[in-house]
Amino acid sequence: MKIQVFIIIVESLVIIAALAVYLTLTILQLFKINAGLASTLTSVGEIVAKTAPVNGVVDAINANLVTARDALENLHLKKAGPDAAGLVESLFPGEGAKFLRRVGKSGKVVNVGSVYTRGVGILASLGRGAPIGAAHVKGPAVRDPKYSTTAASMLYPRPGGARARPKSPVVGREPVHSPYEPSASPGKRLRDAQGRPIEEGEDSSSAQTVQAPRPSGKIETGKPSDSGGDAPPREPPPRMSVKGTRPWER
Amino acid sequence: MDPDLALWLMVIVLLVVIPVLAALLAGVLKAASSIPPRIDAIAGVAAAASKDLDAVVVLLTTQNYISQITGSVLNYGGSLNAALPDA
Repeated sequence: MKIQVFIIIVESLVIIAALAVYLTLTILQLFKINAGLASTLTSVGEIVAKTAPVNGVVDAINANLVTARDALENLHLKKAGPDAAGLVESLFPGEGAKFLRRVGKSGKVVNVGSVYTRGVGILASLGRGAPIGAAHVKGPAVRDPKYSTTAASMLYPRPGGARARPKSPVVGREPVHSPYEPSASPGKRLRDAQGRPIEEGEDSSSAQTVQAPRPSGKIETGKPSDSGGDAPPREPPPRMSVKGTRPWER
Repeated sequence: MDPDLALWLMVIVLLVVIPVLAALLAGVLKAASSIPPRIDAIAGVAAAASKDLDAVVVLLTTQNYISQITGSVLNYGGSLNAALPDA
């Protein structure tokens, strides 16, 4: 055998060995990759399954929010009129133009908050003839930065000035509805002091018999008087409570 | 052509091919070896993301609340519509 042939055979064996070693190692790495991708695919499948209903839920939430927003914007447009976009602009800068686009209108958005004090514009737009409503939107701000609430209250002049408050109604001198107003017709007593019914014509006599003794001005003892010997002894006045009527209290 | 010369040429070609082939195979093996750690990292992130998405079920409750709130807001708007005068 020639030396060249021997060298070629050796080189071929080296090439085959290198291919075998490297390809085997590469195959092992590919198996690892396969296993890793399998585990990753499981987690990705879970993610897909868990996020599947999100679109429907978010769409439903958006639909509800858009419905509420449209209703409130239409209400706002209905109540605030031409100042609606300006009010939105005053609260959320940059949103006035979007509001106009959403409601299908166009025009320049004037920030109401830079013209009126907050709340004054709304009061003025309620149609009560407030002088604040006469100011031009391009003019200076019609507001007093120190006493803005006074300026707002000045919109509704009342006797006594802006700070005046209505007085409390007088009770006692000439009351309109007094619980102690005397009756126009005298009443009729149906029972006497002892609870017996009063017959017709007996009223005056019985009223005389049950007259209470006049106070003597002296301290009276609890002993009953014996002036009338025939009168039965007085019973003790009934108690105001049930204490003493129980068996263990007697 | 002399057969010996051809054999010597073959020997030289093979001598050149062997290191080139080894380099190429080493590159493939190195690239393949760098993939499994990244896949393991991706698998960990995917598992964590899947766990985080367990709270997605709460969106159904949120949807219910949003629906109720929308109803309340619309009722409130209806009351305002009746209470406030138009512009």
